Amino acid sequence: MRVLPGVRNAPSVLLARLDRYDPDAGRQAAEDAGAWRTWRQVGTTSSPQQIIRLVGEAGLRGRGGAGHSTAEKWRAAAEIQAEERYLVANGFEADPGAQLDRTLMERDPHLVLEGVAIAAYAIGARRAYICVKAGAQGVIHRLQAAIEASEEGGLLGPDALGSGFDLDVEVVGVPGGFVVGEETVLLRALENKRAQPEQRPPYPSRKGLWGRPTVVNNVETLAALPWLLANGPAAYAGIGDVAMPGTTLVQVTGAVGTPGIVEVPTGMPIGSIVDELAGGVRKGSRLKAVLVGGPSGSFLPPDQLGVGYSAAALGAHGAVMGSGTVVALDEDICLFDMATLLQRFLSDESCGKTIPCRIGVRRLYEIGARAVAGLARPTDPQLLLDLAADVRDGGMCGLERLAPNSFLSGMTYFGQEFEDHFVRRRCPAGVCTQLGQSALSVQTA
Amino acid sequence: MTDTLQRPAQDIAPQTSDDASDAVAERWLDTQSPQRPQVTPTFIVEIDGRQLTGRIGQTILEVCRDHGIEVPTLCYEPKLPGFGACRMCVVEVEGEDTPPISCSRAAEPGMVVSTQTKRLRQIRKTNLELIFSDHNAYCLPPCQNKCPSHIDIPGFLKANTEGNWFESARIFKRTIPFPSVLGRVCPAPCEEHCRRDEVEEAIAIRDSHRYAGDQVLKAQAAGTRAPVPFEIQAASGRRVAVIGSGPTGMAAAYYLAIAGHEVTVFERDPAPGGMLRYGIPQYRLPKVEVLEGEYEAAYQLGVKVVTNTALGRDFTIDDLQNQGFDSVVVAIGCYNTNKLGVPGEDGIGVIDGLEYLRVATLGLPYPEHAGKRVVVIGGGFTSMDCARTSVRQGAAEVTLVYRRDMKDMPAANEVHEMLEEGARAIFQAAPTRVVTDDDNRVTGVEFQRMALGAPDESGRRRPEPVAGTEFIIECDRVLLAIGQGPDLNWLERGAEGLSATRNRRLAADAVTFATGRPGVFATGDVRIGASTVVQAIAEGRRAAYAVDAYLKGNDLDEIRTRQTLAEPQPEFLSIVPYTGEVKEPRYRLTAMEPEVRNSSYVEYEIPYTQADAMAESRRCLQCTCEAIGYCDLRRQGIEYGTTLRTLEPQSGGAFSFRSVTENRFTGANHDYIRDDSHAFILREPSRCIDCGRCANVCKEIVGAACYDFMRTGFDTLVTTPLDMSLNTTPCVSCGRCAETCPTGALMPKPRVLEKYDVDESRCILCGICVDACPYDALRCGPDFELSREDRSEPMIDLMAISAMDRITEGTLIREERDWLARAQDKGRSLPVGKLLPMLPPGVTSTANGNGHGNGHAHHHDNGHATNLGLAAGRGPQGQAGGHGDTSGPTGGQGH
Repeated sequence: MRVLPGVRNAPSVLLARLDRYDPDAGRQAAEDAGAWRTWRQVGTTSSPQQIIRLVGEAGLRGRGGAGHSTAEKWRAAAEIQAEERYLVANGFEADPGAQLDRTLMERDPHLVLEGVAIAAYAIGARRAYICVKAGAQGVIHRLQAAIEASEEGGLLGPDALGSGFDLDVEVVGVPGGFVVGEETVLLRALENKRAQPEQRPPYPSRKGLWGRPTVVNNVETLAALPWLLANGPAAYAGIGDVAMPGTTLVQVTGAVGTPGIVEVPTGMPIGSIVDELAGGVRKGSRLKAVLVGGPSGSFLPPDQLGVGYSAAALGAHGAVMGSGTVVALDEDICLFDMATLLQRFLSDESCGKTIPCRIGVRRLYEIGARAVAGLARPTDPQLLLDLAADVRDGGMCGLERLAPNSFLSGMTYFGQEFEDHFVRRRCPAGVCTQLGQSALSVQTA
Repeated sequence: MTDTLQRPAQDIAPQTSDDASDAVAERWLDTQSPQRPQVTPTFIVEIDGRQLTGRIGQTILEVCRDHGIEVPTLCYEPKLPGFGACRMCVVEVEGEDTPPISCSRAAEPGMVVSTQTKRLRQIRKTNLELIFSDHNAYCLPPCQNKCPSHIDIPGFLKANTEGNWFESARIFKRTIPFPSVLGRVCPAPCEEHCRRDEVEEAIAIRDSHRYAGDQVLKAQAAGTRAPVPFEIQAASGRRVAVIGSGPTGMAAAYYLAIAGHEVTVFERDPAPGGMLRYGIPQYRLPKVEVLEGEYEAAYQLGVKVVTNTALGRDFTIDDLQNQGFDSVVVAIGCYNTNKLGVPGEDGIGVIDGLEYLRVATLGLPYPEHAGKRVVVIGGGFTSMDCARTSVRQGAAEVTLVYRRDMKDMPAANEVHEMLEEGARAIFQAAPTRVVTDDDNRVTGVEFQRMALGAPDESGRRRPEPVAGTEFIIECDRVLLAIGQGPDLNWLERGAEGLSATRNRRLAADAVTFATGRPGVFATGDVRIGASTVVQAIAEGRRAAYAVDAYLKGNDLDEIRTRQTLAEPQPEFLSIVPYTGEVKEPRYRLTAMEPEVRNSSYVEYEIPYTQADAMAESRRCLQCTCEAIGYCDLRRQGIEYGTTLRTLEPQSGGAFSFRSVTENRFTGANHDYIRDDSHAFILREPSRCIDCGRCANVCKEIVGAACYDFMRTGFDTLVTTPLDMSLNTTPCVSCGRCAETCPTGALMPKPRVLEKYDVDESRCILCGICVDACPYDALRCGPDFELSREDRSEPMIDLMAISAMDRITEGTLIREERDWLARAQDKGRSLPVGKLLPMLPPGVTSTANGNGHGNGHAHHHDNGHATNLGLAAGRGPQGQAGGHGDTSGPTGGQGH
């Protein structure tokens, strides 16, 4: 996917070195472009505690969707007595439409590796796993080549940088679907067990891979570390939203002029991202809504697009950063139909462990499917809200807890369209043709 | 990829014990010095407002259980860490937004936990509802569910298929003592809900138990004692007076007698039977052959009947208690016919329908009934009996008038028979006045047409009069059959503490049947108003249990709780119809021609032949759950608002109990195939709730790993690898999975004991049967060759056995004795000699296997083959010990 130029004059934390070197050309080329400098410095001069403190001061929060404080996670894992700790870099990128992590890993593998090395050193993990989708051969090859080259250069491997710190980094292609993006699921998959989530707490930072303290960080989080440590926490904390400083990657697709991936300071209004960086709404289209956060994301109407792109701001609007995607939807799209489709996707991707997920999400889909087919029951809107609340509170992992988002946000911001489907049995967009009276048939009649 | 992952060495390498550590352990064990007691540090946690002590490392759930606080769970297995699949054990922790699950959450000092808030109950209820919406199974089959007395219908039908009529009647008598009576007079609400109806037609349940009951009656007439459903208890020394010998009173007496109490039944009339005798005509229920025969079963248990003694006239409740009766059961029924409440009702010729029937059932024609024009008012069974008896007594013209529609008649299924016999019926008309002449004699009845309005609380549409539609039917006699109420005049004297309800019934608890007076119970029609025979008997039986509990000194409140849990049968969802069954229509009873039967009091239905009765019972789909009674899902379903609120029948609708609140989530569901291939464990995946307990126990505790989650999404199922037979897994038949299963998805298989036929020629003397037999029924004889061998790894042998059960040549041999001939017919050439060296020499030639089989059977006839200690000197079979070379495919696997 195309990488779009970011905000003019804003610091580029993640994508600065993208395409500045040929990822296949070897380590030296990468180092010439600026890679590994931070690691060489902090790996030899800073203590792990110092690094954790600096990251804490910078206010770095995870980019995996939930937005937890990275330093706190690290501290929890580092403080526990354990003979072994692990770092797991989550590059699984469960959302089938998202290519953010993949872009980073494929086009700047040394940046991700450098972040891995710093984080592993900070928490005292002698083993780190970079998890990607099993089928992503390009990513796996590039990362593996980069690891080998770095080990040869003494940056990784036994006695890395001559500091006495051993670090074994491994790329793992993890098979599985959407639910593997959940950290506990990823850990079980790494253990070669069935990919099912486990109840948190205990969090993986206490009890993770094989029962040992494990830090699971998104690769985007790790990729921010070299810049953060090189420029100092104050510089990093000065970028973007105070509650979640730094930059983040957004993938803007759908009815926009130039779809692509772009690095933005957190807290940048979604409307500005679409208009200023992604070429605005595509010519000939009228923006109806944006879907923020991927399959378990929420719909936001055009008049709400002033909301800043950060976990807290989106949370106040009932949305999540999720997979980091923003999809612009034009007037041809029926949001009800799309929400139903997303429920179907999530239901099919459920691992089937818990009742609210296996059956509850399925029933959410069925409520939608009934309405799309013109068979909505009068009690269905209330039932949807009740079930959504119980699934959210009774669920175990993010898949089920966030699953109702598309329906809930749709009912909040697009009540008219949802009511049309539930009550009046018509589809204003003319998509749900099974409905007795679609807008089209009404017009022609 | 993931395979290349390096695991920590400790996780893979088994703990090896070296000599040094053994020595340390030895020293530890030998040390006699007093050990310091191990104390786990404790802390205080607040749960449901109580300050409780927890130990470090305990989960919230464990602390709750230690202190007797019940938090519902389905997937929690106490031997394993919390799994978190069922989400039932959610609790609220102060200061946390979303409720954590208590099985996985460690209790912490100072935590404030609530286990039973409204929000939690809502989440749990939703979870249960979701489970039930994909729980393609019944607790009880719908027929049993809908039967007011919850007869074990699949049970007695099963006995019927085997021609075991006594067992069938015995099963029936566990809930209703009178199979033949009910086989004639029951409206059979069960049949309306039979699932066979989804294949083609409901089972003739009533006619089936009628046949079984009749066989017992025949045997009784020949001197056999009637079957008794339960073991008769030793005499308790307590005396019970039952007032009324109708279905309720006699059922109560029957079960109280079995419970060991001395029962005396007081009857107002000259002969026992109540409505069965005086309310139901002979042509429907023969008095001598059937009624007295079935009552005989009660007399055999020691029930005494005192006739011609009426409550209020001859004695009072005070009298009975003064006479030393420890308990009194009032079951006097309803005998006061309701009034029409219209002008002219006191005219000459307006007759109480019950009074009319009473005379008729005594075998007397009602005075001057022949040739009269008769109008019967009402739509229940009494009205039907009045109309049909009037036809038989030669009335010139019989017209039945009912105010609602025909389908709303309680006795709707009898209408066509009545019409066949020559009566008329008019629906949706209600009387406005009785027309009389100057002598106050009835000359007709004026009716008004009724329109059907909105449904009332009974679910039937309420009739509303339509003005200007009056019409008159001319007649000489009017029989009133518009319902009855009990006679409660006796309450005025010697009955202190008893009272009537607002609508003139005797007040008593719906579950414990206790009245306001200790030791006095009221049950049957006198408590609930006129109902059906089956409903009345259910009342009597349940009252008997309550009285028995009272006499044993149990707490009636506790009885109420227990009965409430035991009695209602929640109906959880309508399940997908059967489609795969072979269609086989119902075997119907034939009736005599209307022209013959309308002048005769002889029973007009022609009973089944034995073959028909068995074939009809065989149609039953046996949709019942063996796990009922110990199913956690059911228990929690009842607890979480899915139970009936009371046991009261739905008002108006005569047969249906109020059912569970409707499931909000009914939608797609799964119908899986039962796996009964395993010898000891029955798998019914349709009942599986995917809690994962079996998978976890099998993997973590047993180590066999027979089960795991399969597929994803809504279709996820905990099952064997590739959904195959349990025999194809490394199952060791330990039964732990069935033990941990919270529902009936995995069950110890009910074993049908048969005589086993040991084919010695194929025995390889492996001794596995000896090892596996739980009751030492098989033992090694002195000459048993393998008895010297070390069998220290029995599990591996068991796995070999399970492997042998696959379809292999070995299976074919076991299943088919003439396998060789068949195989050769199909053109398969089998190098038998090479493959199966343990076969006796006779089979290796192309000679057919039948000869061998017969020869083998001969051995059994000689009675030699009952013991396996047979190796030496038994001719050709003895040489089969050639397995010692272990060159055969099966012989080789064990070693």
